[in-house]
Amino acid sequence: MTTQPRIPQPQTERRRRVPRDIPRFVVLSLLALLFLAPIYWMLSTSFKPESDTISLPIQWWPKNFTLENYREILTSPDGNIGRWTLNSVFTSVAYTLSHLLLCVLAAYPLARMKFPGRDAWFWFVISSMMVPGIVTLIPSYIMMIQLNWIDTYHALIWPGVSGAFGVFLLRQFFMSIPGELEEAAVLDGANSWVILWKVIVPLSVPVLVTLGVFSFMGSWNNYVWPLFVVHGDMQTLPVGITSFSSRYTTDYGKLMAGTAIASIPVLVAYLIGQRYLEQGLSAGGSKE
Amino acid sequence: MSEITSNTSVPRKRSRKLSYNTTHPLLPWLYLLPHAIFFLGFIVFPVFYGIYISVHRWDPLSESQPFVGMEFYANLFKAGTPQSEFFWKTFINTTIFTVVSVPLLVGTSIGLAALLFKPIFGRAFFRSIFFMPGILAVSVMGILWRWLFENQSGLVNIILTEYLKLPGIPFLTTEGWAWVPIVLGTVWWTIGFNMTLYLAAMNNIPKAIYEAAEIDGATGFQQFRYITWPNLSSTTLFVVVTTVLASFQLFGQPQLITSGGPTRSTQSVIMYITEEAFSNNQFSSAAAMSFVFGLIMLIFTAFQFWLQTRDLRGSKK
Repeated sequence: MTTQPRIPQPQTERRRRVPRDIPRFVVLSLLALLFLAPIYWMLSTSFKPESDTISLPIQWWPKNFTLENYREILTSPDGNIGRWTLNSVFTSVAYTLSHLLLCVLAAYPLARMKFPGRDAWFWFVISSMMVPGIVTLIPSYIMMIQLNWIDTYHALIWPGVSGAFGVFLLRQFFMSIPGELEEAAVLDGANSWVILWKVIVPLSVPVLVTLGVFSFMGSWNNYVWPLFVVHGDMQTLPVGITSFSSRYTTDYGKLMAGTAIASIPVLVAYLIGQRYLEQGLSAGGSKE
Repeated sequence: MSEITSNTSVPRKRSRKLSYNTTHPLLPWLYLLPHAIFFLGFIVFPVFYGIYISVHRWDPLSESQPFVGMEFYANLFKAGTPQSEFFWKTFINTTIFTVVSVPLLVGTSIGLAALLFKPIFGRAFFRSIFFMPGILAVSVMGILWRWLFENQSGLVNIILTEYLKLPGIPFLTTEGWAWVPIVLGTVWWTIGFNMTLYLAAMNNIPKAIYEAAEIDGATGFQQFRYITWPNLSSTTLFVVVTTVLASFQLFGQPQLITSGGPTRSTQSVIMYITEEAFSNNQFSSAAAMSFVFGLIMLIFTAFQFWLQTRDLRGSKK
């Protein structure tokens, strides 16, 4: 270590920068506290007995720590949180997998094959991104009635499964894969189906994980559509807890326990996919 | 197959175009088919079905759906109908929200990105903290911010009255003030996404420009004004357009924080459209409103693109 030649520049750089960084660090720390405060307050409230949620002075830390809110909200006759959680997990996983499969299959020929009508179809699909979601809400709801899909998993999974963004994202990535790899596979006797699953897909794992995490979180947190197409025991968790919201208008201890429970799966998904999520977002934005 | 062998014998460069995949003209369409079925069925068809619904009187309980032409569209432009009154009132509400929140959402995310751009102790940690609220469901965010701004027992009012000795503000039930939790909650909830976009864009600016500016003695503010900001213009376009579109689709935050009140002052267009459809059972009227509102959004987006690309062209000179 000591024998290494000293490089003066980074040293002076560092020495000069440290005091200048302190105000920036303080500002960031204060902002971070401000950003964490609502989430902290949610958790803190959820562990307080009802009488303590509005007591003065402010109890930053629950004085009479209790798990009663969680017990009551989980066993409440007003809603079946366990069932809602299963609904959310099932529909989010089913949606994510079907969405990925459809987008992979659609993006592959659009990226790697030449055929008449390819560009026209691609632009047709892409142009659908310009249509605001509200335009299809009412007709889609009526379709659900006519298909008898109200209060079924079908209504939660299928209508949103064919997004244009996924096709666009995967097509861009598939196009960047060198053609030589495909040619080598063809020489080995592989057909397009084999090439897709043995060459293209394994090389696309990062972008597939990105799209998967986005799809999962989008589906988990979806609000407007499930609010109207599913009711009672068929609700998803984030929508279900809002029905507590109208019932326990003053009992915030229970409400905060409910919101905490509804946030845990997506927090876990975030911690797993954090790197991909931010990378994918950065890639998507700087493309523009 | 003969094509493949002939391809391999020619130089590599010419074989880049993948002609071997066109063995059968229907093969590509076979791959496209599953996506196309859902795409045509659940995205393209509903658009046209929506037009059909909006020019008929669609009643879930009745057998016949008589054709009514443009009646439901005309209602929106005829003074005195509840549809025209509430549609335009909620349209103005949504526009106010957009005008107030978009500069705030864009400005704070640039500011935060600028604070986080240069290396600092705990940078990755800070980034995660600012990103985290964005992953919460809108329902969680809404219930949480209603609790924070609760008229008497909310944290904000307790701090105002007990610690700052100020009069409390009944945020949730006062016109005007009711927007505060909605706008602040939205900033808190969405800032991380835009911040991440800005950080990525800032990373793409060549470091050499900053080094040169530093040697010339440019201050931090000057560096931001003359290097960072102009280089972010395409990202800003993207962020502004996506944020405006998201703001126009405002629904969950006022629905959960204020229920659109007091007296519809925070009701958004989408809240009113869903009320018309699902509470009043006026599906055709709601479909007509969706189209009018969708068209306004589309025109606005196109105008915004035109405006901003014109600015970009201007600033290049």
